[in-house]
Amino acid sequence: MAVFELRTPLSPEERAEKRKLILRDTIALATILVITAVLAILTYLLFASFTHHREVLAQRWKANGERAMRLGKPDNAVQALRSALNYAPGRRDIEIELAMALAADNRPLEATAYFNSLLETEPGNGLIHLQLARLAASDNKPSDAEEHYQRALDGTWEGDGYVRRREVRLELARYLISQKNYPRAQAELRTAAGNAPKNPDLQMKIAGMMEQAQDPTDALTIYRDQARLRNAPLQALLGAGRTAYSLGHITVARESLLRAIRHRDFSSLPDSEQQAIRQMYAISNRILDLYPDPDLTVRARAGRIQTNAKTARARLTACVANPSAAAKLAPLQAQWQQLPPLTLRALERNPQLEQTTMALVYSTEKQTAQVCGAPTGDDAILLKLAQAPQAVQD
Amino acid sequence: MIQKLRGPKFPSLFAGKSFIKNLLNRGFLANGYKAATSSGVSKLAPTRDERLFLVLSIFIGVISGLLVVSFNIAIEWIKILTLGSAPHAGQYRLIFVPALGGILAAVLVYFFPGSRGSGVNQTKAALYVYNGYISFRTVIGKFIISSIAIGTGHSLGPEDPSLQIGAGVASIIARKFGMSRQRLRVFAPIGAAAGLAAAFNAPISAILFVIEEVIGQWSAAVLGSIVLAAISSVVVERRFLGAAPIFSIPTVTFRNTRELFAYAVLGIFGGLFAVAFSRALGYLRVRLRALPRWTQFTQPAAAGLLVGLIGYFGFFQVMGRGYGSIDQAMHGEFAWKFLLALAVLKLVATTLSYSSGTPGGMFAPTLFIGAMLGAGVGSFEKLFFPHLTGTVGSYALVGMGVLFAGFLRVPLTSVFMVLEVGGNYGIIVPVILANTIAYLIARSLQPVPIFEMFARQDGLELPSLEEQREEIPLHIEDALEPLSVPIVQGREPISAVSAAVAQTSASAILVQIHDGTWYAMTADELTGAAAARTPETPIEQALKPDRLPTLFPDLPLDNALPYFPRWPVIPIINRASRGTLEGIVTLSTILKRYQSE
Repeated sequence: MAVFELRTPLSPEERAEKRKLILRDTIALATILVITAVLAILTYLLFASFTHHREVLAQRWKANGERAMRLGKPDNAVQALRSALNYAPGRRDIEIELAMALAADNRPLEATAYFNSLLETEPGNGLIHLQLARLAASDNKPSDAEEHYQRALDGTWEGDGYVRRREVRLELARYLISQKNYPRAQAELRTAAGNAPKNPDLQMKIAGMMEQAQDPTDALTIYRDQARLRNAPLQALLGAGRTAYSLGHITVARESLLRAIRHRDFSSLPDSEQQAIRQMYAISNRILDLYPDPDLTVRARAGRIQTNAKTARARLTACVANPSAAAKLAPLQAQWQQLPPLTLRALERNPQLEQTTMALVYSTEKQTAQVCGAPTGDDAILLKLAQAPQAVQD
Repeated sequence: MIQKLRGPKFPSLFAGKSFIKNLLNRGFLANGYKAATSSGVSKLAPTRDERLFLVLSIFIGVISGLLVVSFNIAIEWIKILTLGSAPHAGQYRLIFVPALGGILAAVLVYFFPGSRGSGVNQTKAALYVYNGYISFRTVIGKFIISSIAIGTGHSLGPEDPSLQIGAGVASIIARKFGMSRQRLRVFAPIGAAAGLAAAFNAPISAILFVIEEVIGQWSAAVLGSIVLAAISSVVVERRFLGAAPIFSIPTVTFRNTRELFAYAVLGIFGGLFAVAFSRALGYLRVRLRALPRWTQFTQPAAAGLLVGLIGYFGFFQVMGRGYGSIDQAMHGEFAWKFLLALAVLKLVATTLSYSSGTPGGMFAPTLFIGAMLGAGVGSFEKLFFPHLTGTVGSYALVGMGVLFAGFLRVPLTSVFMVLEVGGNYGIIVPVILANTIAYLIARSLQPVPIFEMFARQDGLELPSLEEQREEIPLHIEDALEPLSVPIVQGREPISAVSAAVAQTSASAILVQIHDGTWYAMTADELTGAAAARTPETPIEQALKPDRLPTLFPDLPLDNALPYFPRWPVIPIINRASRGTLEGIVTLSTILKRYQSE
């Protein structure tokens, strides 16, 4: 600038001109600086007002979208959330809500594409993977669904990630159950149960799912834990009774079912359910009545074995009346004929005979059930006992 | 000049004679006065202009950035106020708001005649025709009218107006500082780069566009100032609007080389769309301007009505600048059929809006069409070739570059624009492939670029920058001829030199002075020296004080011209050995070389 060049060989008039030029340039620069500052302030005020207005609009449209989702109007939600995103571009929560609305609006392709785009910018986001898993599940793509569920479990979560991951794991287990992939569902549920707090509701939920995943053993463990609590919930008692019964743990089943029937909330159950539980309890009682418990006196046990043998023989005799069944059951008949007379004395003195007789009773009930159809009465009880005779007292 | 400005068909573009009078009264006279005094200024402060140039570039960048931020806010606010915060199909206001906006724009254009058009050609005209003059009134008019037009839903963009606003700011500042006419002329592109950089939030693309389209050549003299201004404006813009690109770009990927085929298909479609877009604009604009003058007040309203109807019947995305829809397309939110429909309807809507004379730019519509086309091709690929891994966003991004290359005919800018906006060099191969295909198709089917076509329609003969870019300039080596004159050393006596010249009957000799410089002596000079001095006198003592210029074979041929006819021949020096001559050039060989071009 001119200001740096005062020491040039100039005439006095030229020096005066140069000073004027310097002054003019300085004033012009100062003016432009002031203009820039004023313009910056005006722009800032305009921008601040505009930004506030945009935030208000974004919030309003987001709320509208959420309301529409709650009201089950995903198409309106999509529109509202898109508007919200226009005023708050890049807001991840709104983007995810929009993608969820797209999915709810039965636009899986758009929703998947949107979630995939979101995922590209945030590959480890657990929520996005969860949504993609749900979309894949609804689109009947089990491998994609399981992969996204797994990535959701491994991904990052805002807020309480521990709780969110557990919910995802349970959702994955539900999905696996629906796919009849029971072994993997059982594994996920065991992990969930291991990490879950001792919250009765949660424990009951996991136990219920374990039952669905055909894992009554682990379900029974949880039910029994809950049943041991003071003021144990009715569902825990019912669950313990039910799973113990299905596993053949009849002693436990009877005890749990009895507590359930005596529970104050039992009467609030539907009548049909009450009836079924009472029946299960009655069967359990009968099983224990028929079961040759080793803790019984020798005579009492021999008496039960004798009775059971009579019942089974009668069942066999009735069954072989049918000629086609007779051929199939001929070896069984031969086994019965080889047995010595089953007097009380003989049974009392010969524990081996007790075992052989009861084994033949169980075998008879199983084979006749296959050949002549499901039994009734004590035969049915003995058949139930035959499934897991050693488990009765576990 | 006035005849050129008026043009044969479109006197209204720059308002004809009256506008020129205004121009002369308001600016040219003042600048002429300043230009007259600028020689005095250069004597008083020889480096003043040069230093002010850089300082003012920063001010231009900052002020342009602030204005562009305000411009964008104005557009958005007008949109919210008129079309509502969430316009959607089926709203009646979509029909009448653009029409009302058109009426208002037409009325305002009457008061701000310099505001017509996109802004690119007007800036070029300022550079090449008006000595860098863009009036304050034009800047104000462009700001107001473009924001109304775009805000009310006309299918136009804010980038080209931003470019002109920046150029106008630069012109005003340069004039206020009484810069020389030469400086004044180059200020417009500096401001243009600043305005465009702020509008795009992409300084490299803006700089390249201005060099590629506005200036037409690389000029080291202004590059520094352009960069300073562009960076300053982007810094200001980012301070307000954030550093994120104008589009929310998803992760772009290119993993499978088989996808190049799909990108090539995109390039072909892009080239064809670019040609269709250019031809539609070229056709309709001429016909609408040929209509009676009074209809020019109604054309923007009619265009607005038609654009509004497109929006009303389900394609409201084509209204306004459409950045939000570009984002949605990039995130794969639209089905491919809808994307292609949007591309076609945007082409129609922009042709209507722009041809009607509504002020606004074509960058955003170009990007919109490209993005929809790209996303359409990408979605189609996803649907029918799911094993390919390219994201829809990648295709949309490449599609934007494709239209940029094919329609605006700026291949270099188009590549850098995609890379800068996408922030990912991973897709450079598809970008270059698709852009090149689109560019070549567009160029072969539509030889005249769009801005040049508009300039011709407006009666302006602006230089064809596409041709300029591809011109191969002549160099000195192209006119070089072998040494055919005697070479003597400066210490040789005049008698020996005269004898040597007499033997060859050459009309001139080259004298190598002891300090390594050269002198070309004519036979007449030698005769005079021989008559005036003793025969033993070294020849260098008989030479005039000036010396031959030092020219090298790779310099532009133009560089040699100023030294004729002072010198009969000019020796061309070897760069590696200054004592070695590559040959000589004469005026006649240079002229012959030019004539043979």
